[in-house]
Amino acid sequence: MNAENIKEWKIELTYRVDFIRGLFEPLIFVLPFILYGIAIVGGKYSENLEKLTGTGDLITYTVIGYIFMGFLETAVWGMGFALRKEQWYGTIEQVFAAPVPRWVYVMGMALHSTMHQGLIILMQSVIIYFIFGLVLDISGILPSLLIIGIMMISLYGLGILLSSLVLIFKEGWIISEIMYSFIIIVTPIAYPLAVLPSILQKISMYMPTTYGITTIRHFLIGEVSGFTVLDAIVRLLIIGVAWVIFGLFIFNIIDKRVRNKGELGTY
Amino acid sequence: MNSFYNLSIISAEVKKCLKILLCYPMELVFWCIFPIFWAVPFIFQGNALVGGMESEAFSKLTGTTQFMPYILIGAVLNTYVLSALYGMSNSLREESYWGTLELILGSPCSKIPILLGKALNEAVTSTIFAVMQIFICVIIFGLDVAVNQILPIMLIVILLMLGLYGLSIALAGITIQIKQSHSLIHTIEYLFYLFSPVRYPVNINPWIRMVSLVIPLTYALTVVRGIMLLDKSLINLWQNVVILLAIDIGLIVLGYYIFFYIEKRARKSGIISTY
Repeated sequence: MNAENIKEWKIELTYRVDFIRGLFEPLIFVLPFILYGIAIVGGKYSENLEKLTGTGDLITYTVIGYIFMGFLETAVWGMGFALRKEQWYGTIEQVFAAPVPRWVYVMGMALHSTMHQGLIILMQSVIIYFIFGLVLDISGILPSLLIIGIMMISLYGLGILLSSLVLIFKEGWIISEIMYSFIIIVTPIAYPLAVLPSILQKISMYMPTTYGITTIRHFLIGEVSGFTVLDAIVRLLIIGVAWVIFGLFIFNIIDKRVRNKGELGTY
Repeated sequence: MNSFYNLSIISAEVKKCLKILLCYPMELVFWCIFPIFWAVPFIFQGNALVGGMESEAFSKLTGTTQFMPYILIGAVLNTYVLSALYGMSNSLREESYWGTLELILGSPCSKIPILLGKALNEAVTSTIFAVMQIFICVIIFGLDVAVNQILPIMLIVILLMLGLYGLSIALAGITIQIKQSHSLIHTIEYLFYLFSPVRYPVNINPWIRMVSLVIPLTYALTVVRGIMLLDKSLINLWQNVVILLAIDIGLIVLGYYIFFYIEKRARKSGIISTY
């Protein structure tokens, strides 16, 4: 796993321009949410947001939601494309022929992607703090890290599932993008669950990111949500176990299928 | 005779690119739907911040209280930017992936009809995507499009495309030289996304406003939103149209000059076929 992690870092750091651009990219995509929010309310405070969530600071609310959602990118893009990258490099057959379970390679890429995402989050937080000022409850940082750790279990399950789907679909970026876009909509990143239509609220209850983001905001800025911290942790653990089991199950089926049909190396 | 041959080259290029696109129907469906999906979080965010679908503060910056159609129009027109930057700019790079770049550049025809064919293909496909997206906006989000608004909007979209494809022809040339141009293309996409009124009015910040003045998308969005949301006519918005046209001419001239300069240089140095 660590060998895969180190390999990915070496490749990434070979293309320094892309690496630096990648560090700033999430910032590019969070700024429109902030500027749009300021344009909508005419300032940084929203009375309606305070009524719904207990906090009216739209910048801190949105930033926390968005930057921690970066871990979803770990699952969707980092892990989702792990095996597809091996196909591009021309090493997929060697990977599959090695006496190592395939999911270990995927988890190695997950380790790299998680570390990369951690670096991005740190950088984003510092830059946004200096531009907009963030007011956080420092005592909430450690419990937030615990929640992130539990949330990552489900996201790794999702990543394992996506990495196998890409083996079948080849142009798997569409699958990853669809999944990512859908989860972004149903997760309360820049808005609370209450503004979603009821069907999307119900779907949101099965997403680990819903509990993860809302609970992190509860710890850091005192957001009031419809469930307790204990509820959130229990649900995150249940969803995590379910998504990992499902992800591994689908991965094994697809792994056998592509090897039986000889489609592994087809492009 | 030359015009006939050039037209047949353009037509062949368009047919080829469309055939390739139709081999990936999922991509077709994706681009018809997802640019609108990406705008949906902004609609929910707006609702959460003001407790409804209208904002007085927003109208001070834009002239309209309705942020939902504002966002949707931005999403649809941004499709053309994505098509120009990622489709057109990478078109020659794709030829090198397929192993056909040297054949194309070595063929006894002017490069202009080839580039025009690629640009026309992108224009056709992005218009198909945009029309489907507008259809979705009308059906699901209740976006109002009056019949008498269609022609002026089409004119502005054509002007927008001219400028964007001028820029992307320059980028296509740069791609022949530097091969891995995706960082440059991404950076230009970010500039367009942050400094033009795709998601928010550029008046929100003076620096953003200043940079937005040189981006063709700014004027296209201003005019289209003026027509659709503020009930203005093209005549009322003539200054924006004239500036857009001037930027287009500049980008087209610059684009062709850069492309031919770099293409000549790449042929002399023999790097066309290098990967």
